[in-house]
Amino acid sequence: VIKRVEVNYRGIFQKTLGKKIGGDIVMIASRVGRVAFSNGRYSDSPERNGIPCKYFAFVSPDLSEEELEAECGAKLDIDEADVSVVVDEAMVKGVEPWGWHGIRPINEKVIPGGTLLVVSRKPHADLLKFIGRKPYPYRLATIEGDASLSGLWVFKDDLTHERVLGAIAALDPDVIGIEAVEAYLLERTGQPQRAEAARAAYEEVQGKVEVVLPSDGIDWPHQPPVLPKWHEFGEGVVVPAVPRGFQLGPRGQSRNPQFKRGTTKSERPVVRFDICTKCTLCWQECPDQCFDPTVDGLYDVDYEYCVGCGKCAEVCPVKECIVMVDELRFEDDRSPWEHYRRDRDGYVEWAEQKKGDKRVVHPHVTGTGRAELDGQRVPLGKVIPARKKEATA
Amino acid sequence: VTLAEKTGVYEREELLTGCQAVSQAVRLADVDVIAAYPIRPYTEVMDQLSKIIADGQLDAEYIVADSEHGQFEIVKHASAVGARAFAGSSGTGWCYGFEALVVTATDRLPVLFLVGNRALDDPGAFGVEHNDALAVRDMGWLLCWASTAQEALEHVLIGYRIAEDARVRMPMALAMDGAFLTHSQHIVKIPSPEAVGRFLPPYDLGERRLHPDNPISIAPQVNEDWVIELRRQNWEAARRARGVIVDAYREFNAIFGERYRAPYFFDEFMTDDAEVVLIGLGTVAMPGRTAVRRMREQGRRVGYVELKWFRPFPTEELRASLSRFKAVGVIDRDFNHGSPDDGGTVFHEIRSCLYPARERPAVINFITGLGGRDISIADCTTMLELTEQAARDERRDGTVTWLGLRE
Repeated sequence: VIKRVEVNYRGIFQKTLGKKIGGDIVMIASRVGRVAFSNGRYSDSPERNGIPCKYFAFVSPDLSEEELEAECGAKLDIDEADVSVVVDEAMVKGVEPWGWHGIRPINEKVIPGGTLLVVSRKPHADLLKFIGRKPYPYRLATIEGDASLSGLWVFKDDLTHERVLGAIAALDPDVIGIEAVEAYLLERTGQPQRAEAARAAYEEVQGKVEVVLPSDGIDWPHQPPVLPKWHEFGEGVVVPAVPRGFQLGPRGQSRNPQFKRGTTKSERPVVRFDICTKCTLCWQECPDQCFDPTVDGLYDVDYEYCVGCGKCAEVCPVKECIVMVDELRFEDDRSPWEHYRRDRDGYVEWAEQKKGDKRVVHPHVTGTGRAELDGQRVPLGKVIPARKKEATA
Repeated sequence: VTLAEKTGVYEREELLTGCQAVSQAVRLADVDVIAAYPIRPYTEVMDQLSKIIADGQLDAEYIVADSEHGQFEIVKHASAVGARAFAGSSGTGWCYGFEALVVTATDRLPVLFLVGNRALDDPGAFGVEHNDALAVRDMGWLLCWASTAQEALEHVLIGYRIAEDARVRMPMALAMDGAFLTHSQHIVKIPSPEAVGRFLPPYDLGERRLHPDNPISIAPQVNEDWVIELRRQNWEAARRARGVIVDAYREFNAIFGERYRAPYFFDEFMTDDAEVVLIGLGTVAMPGRTAVRRMREQGRRVGYVELKWFRPFPTEELRASLSRFKAVGVIDRDFNHGSPDDGGTVFHEIRSCLYPARERPAVINFITGLGGRDISIADCTTMLELTEQAARDERRDGTVTWLGLRE
């Protein structure tokens, strides 16, 4: 018997989270006499910001460590998963970790009767709008929470880690049991709130798990690429370039069809073309060249290639012109500029409705003046802290 | 009962990657000088060591070099002045420092290097291939593979003991499969410093230590009338190493329990009445042995030999062992294009080793798992079945099969 768990996480931002969940499953399982080990999908690292990555844990009550390793280790990807964890809900749109891999459905590895566990505040129906159909029933479960995003060497200790462990214990006690989770967390940290968080998620998820039938979900629109045979490759490691091309208008610049990277984003930029000043900054500053110049001097966005870094929203000098919005509010990657050209008022109304009222506040890097912030007058513009003076004798 | 109380030689258990296990061993070996330069998959070793030093758990010079060449020269020189030294690398980084690797061996300096096996570019790839470490096979090195994190930890200690032995004094390359071993997290038993102290004596280069109080010169430029004698001398050290290796394992077992079985250079699994065996380096042993176990359940007389030591090559022991079988399938996670029969490097060595044997088995070759491609249990079953065929059919002797290739 082998239990397989995968954690789908965002590269860099959730690396420590993914590794901690995988590692703690091993520690907890081994405390109750099970054999376990953990690894990551090696090709995912060195990671890039936000790229969909995977961490794995394997647990067996009866196999030797060597046999478990032979079955599950030394592999590029997991064969199948009893539990697929998703720590950023936006990944339900699919995952494309590297080139020539294709956009794969988030539930690709979930076995019949297995579970897709998503950290999300959304109702299941909202998630299933994006998830591919499977030919057999499996379970979808959620625990409430936002994507716990931090940096590579730091860890946002917001109890997501403990909560996911608690939820796994509820969904598949043959991986880890809740008592073992609680005992481990308490013993390891001495902090009762960690064990309590695991227990709360254990209780919560039991009310938020339902069977997904073969009729639920969408027809998966992406096909994995067929890789060439050895005699089909160009000799000398030669790979044909993406044909050069530039035309004004949507999709007017040629881009690599074998690595789109759009599944890297948790948010996308929504552009209010009606208030755009055509300053060109979004187009110039986009690190991934996702903006397409158009005949009217506006810049369309190719969402298939946008990784959601937020640079455009940061540099846009017009308030409310480019705003980052939750990726799951969008069901397609169609050209926003074409939408705007077709129906200006309709587009603006649609954009405002999508934007909602949540805003990321970006620091101003240029300009002067002062602004009111939390009742205090603070300088606008780049604030350079006074240099520390060398101590003088 | 704690692990320490139960065993007396292990301090604690920790969940460690292969790289982290090696770093813990470097701490336990109380290494004096570490030179670092990043390349995956070795990088996590240097990351962990810098943390171990920053955490105050090891007092060592930690030098970030300008390149692998500089990195390897630094540890070579450190070793010459009597410092226990450690470095590591992978793939093309290892090759970039090759000049330094060559002279470390000819100067007979016992530095330990970790090689996280990685495909040689191009194309730029991170996965395991053994060509990087195998490249030092002709140069007077000790070269050994570990296949679990626990073995990797233990072989840093065993490696220093063998390399630094006055009868040997050769550099040691400890190889481990990139990704599959370097980056997989397993529960590892960490020995106590006291037990390690009993096993691994302090580094003492004796009369060869470069020091103002011991005025010597190392490796002057020489003419034709010097070189061949020095090569002969280095060969003698490599010959003596065979005996020192066996002693080191016996002593390790005496302190840490029966961890390793004779003849130590390789480990046999279910070979007692076997007719055919597979032999290979590194982590392929896991699916290899699992395939053997399952075929044994069907009454097939198959076995697996995990080769650990490649230099010095265990000629006598392996010749005696493998000549018992009707056919031997050699797994190469490396390539050697244009070589005899276009086989892999391990294949050539094993076939050469078996040539003088009175009863010579058929020897066939599998080139597989290159660039980190999976080698599954099913692949190992296929290899065992083809080796069974070779035992029945003389025409298969010497054949080379590429496996796991899109063709």
